[in-house]
Parts: sequence; C-alpha cells; structure tokens
Amino acid sequence: MKIEVLGTGCMKCRRLFKNVEVAVKELGITAEIVKVQDISEIINRGVMLTPALAVDGEMKVSGRVVDVQEIKEILKG
Amino acid sequence: MALQKECACGDTSAVTGGKRRIIFPCAGVANVGQISNAAAHRLTDEGYGAATCVALLGTGDAGLKQRIAEADEVVIIDGCPVICGKKIADAQGLIPAQHIVITSLGIDKAYGKPVTGDDVELVVSAAWEGKGRHQ
Repeated sequence: MKIEVLGTGCMKCRRLFKNVEVAVKELGITAEIVKVQDISEIINRGVMLTPALAVDGEMKVSGRVVDVQEIKEILKG
Repeated sequence: MALQKECACGDTSAVTGGKRRIIFPCAGVANVGQISNAAAHRLTDEGYGAATCVALLGTGDAGLKQRIAEADEVVIIDGCPVICGKKIADAQGLIPAQHIVITSLGIDKAYGKPVTGDDVELVVSAAWEGKGRHQ
C-alpha cells in the first residue's frame, strides 16, 4: 500500500503525515508513506486544497486534516 | 536553513466531510491548565475543532448550547484529576466524545512551571489519536 500526504509542509500537512504514521502503526500494516510537497505535482494531481491524502493513487480526502480513527477506516476500506 | 515554501492550505472552513468539534480546555492556572489552553488553540489552528471557553459553558449560555447541538463532537481537555472541565460539562448534561486528562499523559502538575512545546504537542497528538475516547 502506498499512502501519499500532499501538502507543501505547513502545520496541517505535518499533522496529517503524523496521523497517518500513527494509524499505520496501530493497524499493524505495511505501507509506504510518502510526502508530496512539490506544488506543481500537487496541482497536477487535481488537488485544490491541501492537505490531501491519497491511497494507492486514489484521492481520499482534500482540504483538511483527518484524525487517526478516520484514517484507519479509510485504510481498512 | 531552507526557506519554508508558501503554504497551500487555505481557509478550509467550507470543506465538508470533517467533524465539527467544540473543544473545552479547563484553562486552569497551573501548568497543566495552561497546557490545555495552548493545546486547544493549536487544535483550532490545525482544523480539529473550535476552542471555546469552559467558563461560558458553566453559565448555561443559550447561544453556546445551540452551537453544541449543531456540533458533531465535544472534546474536553482537563489538566488534572480534579477534572473541572468535565464536571462543568456534567452539570450542563453534556457528554463529551473525548475527555483528555493531561496528567494521565505523564505531565506533572506544577504551579509556575513553564509550558513547553513538547507538552502541548503531547496533548494535541492525544486528541488527534482519540486517546480520550471512551473505551
């Protein structure tokens, strides 16, 4: 599983990244967690508001930080 | 040190899908009370919810009751086991989705002890992780 956190590195983006790390650890799954900080790539991915969260290339959330519980639900499908 | 790129995060208040939360810090005068206040402000800045005065809750303010009715969750951050914030909520018949007690996170209560960034981060992380939820 590849999880991407899209955002240029502000407080909200950092929080989302940390929440993803916690969720992955609590679920006990193996996942590659990637920061996408390049603004051109973020725009090219169709993201209008950051932070955003993508799982295996599919955009799941955009424009807000997601809490750990909701991230776990997203990852469990 | 590299300059921070301009942030692309805008005002996301119109973004739907997230929970609307009201955060009540106990805001006591000891370090843990001040940490509760700082954490509530940080959580507000991060988009978790809206920090609100627990003293106003204690007055039974009608406008605040309306806001609570429209919210999805209430989070109470108490500094110590005296749990003043939780008691004020109880008196108003309010059941929080999360109740965090800062001393239970390993921070000792002390008057005049400076509030550190690490202390605030510990409490903010606990809220995002749902550590104060009923098991």
